Amino acid sequence: MSVDAAAVETFDYRLSPLPVRGDLAATQRRAWARLAAPGEWWPGAVRIAIAEETRAAEACGFCRERRAALSPHAAAGTHSRATDLPEALVEVVHRIRTDPGRLTRRFCEEALAGGLGDGEYVETVGVIAAVVAIDSFCDAMGLPRHELPAPAPGEPRRRRPAGAKDGLAWVPTVAPEDLTEAEAGMYDGLSAANIHRALSLAPAEVAGFFDMDSAHYLRDAQLRDFGAEYRALTHAQIEFLAGRVSAINRCVY
Amino acid sequence: MLLRESGEHTGDDYDLAAIAGEGAAGGGVAAGAALAAYADTFFDEDRAGFPAARSRLHGEVGGEALVDAAGVLAIFNAVVRIADAIGIPLEAQKARMSADFRGALGIDDYPAAAGKV
Repeated sequence: MSVDAAAVETFDYRLSPLPVRGDLAATQRRAWARLAAPGEWWPGAVRIAIAEETRAAEACGFCRERRAALSPHAAAGTHSRATDLPEALVEVVHRIRTDPGRLTRRFCEEALAGGLGDGEYVETVGVIAAVVAIDSFCDAMGLPRHELPAPAPGEPRRRRPAGAKDGLAWVPTVAPEDLTEAEAGMYDGLSAANIHRALSLAPAEVAGFFDMDSAHYLRDAQLRDFGAEYRALTHAQIEFLAGRVSAINRCVY
Repeated sequence: MLLRESGEHTGDDYDLAAIAGEGAAGGGVAAGAALAAYADTFFDEDRAGFPAARSRLHGEVGGEALVDAAGVLAIFNAVVRIADAIGIPLEAQKARMSADFRGALGIDDYPAAAGKV
């Protein structure tokens, strides 16, 4: 077995030229397993198709042309697609993957008007984020990307959090004081800052993404614990790099 | 903002402008210039300079820290998509505390900043 094949199959990076922390690999394994399983709003097959489109967007000529245009509305064309997902969903996936810095409330509203439910939109964002995180890690390490898993059977749960409210963002979100028993653990270990609430229409996406976040970045409780270092990079180095990545993506958060 | 807080704790005066590619390349952060080059070349269209930037960073911080850097880059490349696709605003306190350097660095002029700060 080649080094590349082993790295993909085991997902523990044991043959990586550089040692990858076990906790980091473990969160990626959990994310990959979750990717294949039915979510709150999408079945596993759609989640994997969204993952495929997330990757296809990187090679999409229309996306490249649009990203280079002065305005995203100045370019016209069709996406190089990898799946038979509805066009409105393909547009959402490709745009979020390739041009996130110019997304507007209008973009979100058009996606919802095009037939996506707000929960489906949110879960789509969660799937994209998981794939982008793990693919980016592999790319940054110089390792081959992992094969997408086969979708698991089953139906989505379709339980809308009862406490979801409009106001904070472009879609309803759940404040910690509005949690019900059904999604009680969603913010465990988190401060329930706005970014934590973003995916709260799909509670498993919140817990899953920030499970990864805690191993790739820092746990919430470690963020301002400047008296201790938890990684081989210092707090300052981590924040400098994180800020640089956000700035390159023209993200204000 | 956390970089500023980190500097206040350690007594370091970091150049926050370096985050947005202005000012001193490394902002006074240890291996900052190498970290900046690592991020910049990763997001270049062809990533042609990325292997060299990664080797440089490896040489400056070591293998364990290089893996940490890959993790931070990866997760923030995802976090920005969550924030921007959902339209999440900055918390009021964070917005107040970061207003000075956001304005100075042009961050408030990002298209994605509309209605979020």
